[in-house]
Amino acid sequence: MPLPLKTLGFLSGAAALAGLFVVAPIAKADIDVWPTLKKQAFGDRAIAEEDGAVVLEIPGTAEDAAIVPLTVRVPPHVTQDLKSLTLFIDKNPDPKVATLSFGPAQGKGGERSFSTRVRIDNFSQVRAVLETADGSLHMASKFVAAAGGCGAMQAKDPDTEMVGLGKMIVKTFPPALDANPIWSAQVMIKHPNANGMQLDINTANIIPARYVKEVTVKRDGELVFKMDSTFSVSTNPNFRFTFARGDKNELDVVVTDTDAARFAAQSQPSGS
Amino acid sequence: MKTCDQGHRTAPPVISRQAFMRAALLFAASPLLRYAPAQAATGAEITEIAPGIFVHQGRYELQSPENRGDMANASFVVGSDGVAVIDTLGSAVAGRELREAIRTVTGKPIRYVINTHMHPDHVFGNAAFKEDNPTFVGHYKLARGLGSRAERYLAINKEMLGAEAFEGIEIILPSVGVENSLTLDLGGRTLQLNAQRTAHTDNDLTITDTATDTLFLGDLLFSVHVPTLDGSIIGWLALIEELARTTPARVVPGHGPHAMAMPEALSPEQRYLGAIATDVRKLIKDGKTLEDAIQTAGLSERDAWKLFDHYHVRNVTAAFAELEWE
Repeated sequence: MPLPLKTLGFLSGAAALAGLFVVAPIAKADIDVWPTLKKQAFGDRAIAEEDGAVVLEIPGTAEDAAIVPLTVRVPPHVTQDLKSLTLFIDKNPDPKVATLSFGPAQGKGGERSFSTRVRIDNFSQVRAVLETADGSLHMASKFVAAAGGCGAMQAKDPDTEMVGLGKMIVKTFPPALDANPIWSAQVMIKHPNANGMQLDINTANIIPARYVKEVTVKRDGELVFKMDSTFSVSTNPNFRFTFARGDKNELDVVVTDTDAARFAAQSQPSGS
Repeated sequence: MKTCDQGHRTAPPVISRQAFMRAALLFAASPLLRYAPAQAATGAEITEIAPGIFVHQGRYELQSPENRGDMANASFVVGSDGVAVIDTLGSAVAGRELREAIRTVTGKPIRYVINTHMHPDHVFGNAAFKEDNPTFVGHYKLARGLGSRAERYLAINKEMLGAEAFEGIEIILPSVGVENSLTLDLGGRTLQLNAQRTAHTDNDLTITDTATDTLFLGDLLFSVHVPTLDGSIIGWLALIEELARTTPARVVPGHGPHAMAMPEALSPEQRYLGAIATDVRKLIKDGKTLEDAIQTAGLSERDAWKLFDHYHVRNVTAAFAELEWE
């Protein structure tokens, strides 16, 4: 049984206020929003579904709906350059989670992957759509149910959320085998990624949305990817991804949030 | 309605045939529901653990139409002027049964309803006490925590309790918020309320009855039922160390037996949270991911707890997200 659906219209402050203290009437949770999302994002282009070009790993049940780990893998048999990767959570208030546009340092000659943690607002289909250099689109998707018990979309300790805002940790990991041309890395950003839909009970005001909207990662000056993201990414955004081995394997990460604050960081020495 | 005797322990309840059949069915239906009800669900069973202190023990279960949200401990303290209720169970239905149990013991006015923290199994019975017009008391951050989660808590509980047990549930926030400490006079005895820093949640409140030196820890203390982490693992472990240095005559857990002895009551919980923290810190140091942690951290504790599979992954997730920023 689906929980009440928060529709796209829920974004408006008044609706959010009204919706907060009442159980919304059971909405038509079976409305399939994907055709609309697909049209908006890709027009009439064909999308190959579950053709093995992209693999989505996500738990079938979200134990903590505020922090659901998600991994997208592009298996080694896909040898083309990658153009973009878009993640969707159909039933989230803003269904588009993130779009990554890949650059020349994206890596080649092995498995490529991207992991993050997302908020899942409802029982929902989660989708990864990969665009390869030839312009073809490939999709993997999975249905995720929220676990029973306490929902946990809110900060566990709101008073510490803004402490250390913008602090970043960037780590690189060399491959197990030197011959492997693909390295991996982790980027952690201290940021509440506030979704603008939570009420501050003390002031009765909506806590304004403030979230990471752009992340640019370069290796030795060359683009790995540029990502446009939304508040469907969990608090303290966390990314793991692969990139092409370079000379120094130094990563530069630049983050911009919706308040136009800019944070930058460099990787710690490789393997640390 | 079950009455309670005035001794320190109630006699074991008589098990009706109907209840026995229900218990047998539960056993057959799910190996997880090992703590089947010992009596038909018609009233709150209470035990007097110290003079004037009564505890109802909740079941080690998730909320269901069958248990009507009766899955946490709820207590009340009787003074010469009035009664204070400490937690109200997980539905108005269960809360009303708790109120009936109080009325079998005393006709004194119910002056205070204290919530130890924001979770539904401790606050959703508040509505049953509205007619008493009590002062609702909680940690000063309880209102924010529960208020911002209200919609989701209501939706989930409506789903899990079913319409009948959900009937009458209302979110009732504290009218008095405790920022540091507060003393409530019940006549002949006082309750000392202390707001704690972020641990199990960011709004845990502890209560000491000064007449009997009984400490109510709410969900800062879990026994048998696996702990649930919805605050800070670092804060919780630190608070456990502090609490272990105190020497109350007895403690009442949020989930577990009616009463326990200190400081050993804290040991299993300390061991569980400590195992998670140790394992997760090592995984982070080794460059492992949240997914790795979910599959390995703290699994040595699996056989020590009820409901482990329902909460452990969430606990590890919360611990990982906190400890990776150390």
